[in-house]
Amino acid sequence: MLFHTWTFAAFVAVALLGFFALRPTRFWLPWLFLASYVFYGCWSPYYLILILYSTTMDYSVVGFMDRCPRTGGHRFDLSHLRGTKISSPRLRLAYWGFIAAAMTCLAAAVINFSNLRPMMLGLCLILSLMAMGTAFSSRKIWLAVSLINNLSLLAFFKYAGFFSDAINQLLANVGAPFQLPEAAALMPTGFEYLLPVGISFFMFQSMSYTIDFYRGEIDRERSFIRFATFVAFFPQLVAGPIERASHLLPQFHSRPQVTGRDVSEGLSLFLVGLFKKLALANYLSIYVERIYDDPSAQNAPALLLATFAFAWQIYFDFSGYTDMARGVARWFGFRLMLNFNHPYLAASLGEFWSRWHISLSTWFRDYVYIPLGGNRRGSWLTCRNLLITFVISGLWHGAAWTFLIWGALHGIGILLTRRLEQADWYHTRLPKPIKQIAVFLFVGFAWIFFRADSLETAATIIKRIGTTPWTDPGCPGLMLALIGAVWGYQYLSESRYKQILQWPATRITLATGMIVYLLLFSSKGGEFIYFQF
Amino acid sequence: MTPNHTKTHDDTSPPRLTLGFREWLVTLLLVLAIVMFTPSIWKIFENYATPPDYRVPYALSKNYGLYERAMDRLQPAQIPVLGDSVVWGEYVSRDGTLSHFLNHHSGESDRYVNAGVNGLFPIALEGLVRQYGGAIHDQKVILHCNLLWMSSPEADLSSPKEQKFNHSRLVPQFTTTIPCYRASFNDRASIVVTREVPFFSWNGHIRNTYFKQKDLHTWTLADDGGYPPSYPNALAAPWKQITFQIPGEPENDSDRGLDSPRHKAWSATGVGTQQFEWVPPEQSLQQQAFRGLVNLLCERGNDVFVIIGPFNTHIMAPENLSGFTAGLAAIRDWLDAQKIPNLPSATLESTLYGDASHPLTEGYQQLATEIWSSSQFHDWLVR
Repeated sequence: MLFHTWTFAAFVAVALLGFFALRPTRFWLPWLFLASYVFYGCWSPYYLILILYSTTMDYSVVGFMDRCPRTGGHRFDLSHLRGTKISSPRLRLAYWGFIAAAMTCLAAAVINFSNLRPMMLGLCLILSLMAMGTAFSSRKIWLAVSLINNLSLLAFFKYAGFFSDAINQLLANVGAPFQLPEAAALMPTGFEYLLPVGISFFMFQSMSYTIDFYRGEIDRERSFIRFATFVAFFPQLVAGPIERASHLLPQFHSRPQVTGRDVSEGLSLFLVGLFKKLALANYLSIYVERIYDDPSAQNAPALLLATFAFAWQIYFDFSGYTDMARGVARWFGFRLMLNFNHPYLAASLGEFWSRWHISLSTWFRDYVYIPLGGNRRGSWLTCRNLLITFVISGLWHGAAWTFLIWGALHGIGILLTRRLEQADWYHTRLPKPIKQIAVFLFVGFAWIFFRADSLETAATIIKRIGTTPWTDPGCPGLMLALIGAVWGYQYLSESRYKQILQWPATRITLATGMIVYLLLFSSKGGEFIYFQF
Repeated sequence: MTPNHTKTHDDTSPPRLTLGFREWLVTLLLVLAIVMFTPSIWKIFENYATPPDYRVPYALSKNYGLYERAMDRLQPAQIPVLGDSVVWGEYVSRDGTLSHFLNHHSGESDRYVNAGVNGLFPIALEGLVRQYGGAIHDQKVILHCNLLWMSSPEADLSSPKEQKFNHSRLVPQFTTTIPCYRASFNDRASIVVTREVPFFSWNGHIRNTYFKQKDLHTWTLADDGGYPPSYPNALAAPWKQITFQIPGEPENDSDRGLDSPRHKAWSATGVGTQQFEWVPPEQSLQQQAFRGLVNLLCERGNDVFVIIGPFNTHIMAPENLSGFTAGLAAIRDWLDAQKIPNLPSATLESTLYGDASHPLTEGYQQLATEIWSSSQFHDWLVR
């Protein structure tokens, strides 16, 4: 169910009607939960099993973690396994329940169900860890349960194919007599092996809750429905922004107040997002597809312009989605975080990452970069931490070497330019537009790897940009004019003349122009690019 | 992601383009004014010639707004001839159609108006008249009934197997179930909105007429079909395409008319007799739609005369004749019960058909003569 469809319009109308009807009662939250699950179930009802499982696990993990002492625990003292130390009857019951379930999974893996063996063993491991967490009263073990559970699901659904292919290739090269099974063969009978839409988003959101609780930064959420609504809140479920529990969960605690300002700002956000998607991203995608589908038949100008167009397409597509998500959330009285802040006006790569997909880049900063040591352990380790963080960030986008290279390029780019950005002459003498163009060119270059379907294709594109003649790229002037207009608008909005954009006449003209343009010229188009991540 | 960046949870920053409640009101009023008045104002400036024997050009068959405009020009004394490509004239030029020869017999140049559209079928024709034929009211109307659409479950659209068919935008989207039509809710809703809001019909008209049936974005990216392709519209000014002159039929249409290689008898094309799996009349969706169309026209105060056929029975395997006869009888019985005058036309000579249902020029001439010499028709004309 895409935001720019009539199906979504009908869905959101029903969801809003029910929400406002139930707002005076305590059922508004269950209604939001139900709406979110209906929304997600529209893609595939099977997905609901996964999100419900992940949500239940993290909810329970934090519940158990909450019973553990804040510091110390039992320091993995095996003597506690004798059982006498688990004082609470409930915990004792849970402990034996975990042990029994782990043994059952182990028996199932040993006796039968060869295709389910890895899943049974995985469950056995998680259940054993849960039993250990109960026995040792260790917050660390419970955190490990959450991380292993979420990351193994993510790894199975998103990366199993990539890694098993790579390992099988390696095994074949060394002449090994066996191969790893296909990921699809490990699914239970009757279930298709599909990448669940938005899995990377909601799992990261759910994981951030357990990590933040472990760190003592947030309180435990006692209501399952509230927590499940936080994980599955439909406007941001499938493509973010990846919200933090400390930001979104408290908004579900009290009855939301929807003001006229919420409605009008929500409409404004939705209109801008719709325009970005239907008028811009979909238009650019036609040109980009034409060139990138057969790059060996294209010459330098077409490849350059298509790369330039893709940079804007992905921005319009993803930020358009986010704008619409934020707009829809506002109609319900909730505020989602800003995810894009004119990234192509960045004057440095570091600044680019503070403007691009902010919810993800801050997630990686808080949960990967800083735990690795951040910049606190000398320059070499800082470099290592940055590089690891960016490579993981690349892999987050997809299981392919191209994404890995894309992430690594950004990491290397930041490392190489950090010193430069600290230099006085760079700060004071180099005009800002030159820095902005340089950053855009670098980011655009990196997008080649992101968009190309393989490393060979990316290499072909780069080679042909450097070697082929300059012929007519067949790029529509209207497309370039639209990009120019948006760039100009963004530039103006951060310049000293930004007041012009705040004049009512300007805003009305722009909004009217966008609506009429959408009514007249919007391109049909499919899903949002980031749904695949 | 670099360490010196502050945590960004900037939910409080308003969107760059934020409109207040009053500004939204002004914006929506402006948009409403544009949406309401643009189509009517456009008509004033656009030149649309409908000379005698005019028919909506083949290339603009799906420009339903144009059909609506043509019907808006109907005079009370004129008689529209409604139907599918048999009325429109699949193999013939516009001076070889049924309406042309009826005009010829009447001695007037523009009494009978070709209100056929290429590619239609009864379900779509009902939709066309319902949505875009509001101007056809309180006048005499000739309606053609083509039994071909009941000749198989696929043609009848009652087959459960999914099919793509012409003019799907005209069929009922939510009220009637068409088993082979599997459009999503979104597509159906989109079609309904497009049909109901004249601005969108007008927008479709602009695309159809000036941008080769493409939206502006696709048009700017269209290639010339050559290899290597070139892109003639990439840097062309879109507004220069809008000439305010609606094109008519091409002067020399190689697909139609006496000189066209397509204008030849069906038997000369090497086609043999065919099997027809006639749908029983009571189960036929097309027949139900046809009846609905007759009722709709009558409700609008029209005086309807129905011409059935002439179906090319020469092309049909003899064992299928009973199905055809049953379908014909069912239509006639129903029309008689409704007191709708009707004329089942006699089968023409085999050589006068281009295929199973479309006559060639001489076939139309004979058909018009048969109609004109029918007392039923004259009784209807003068009543």
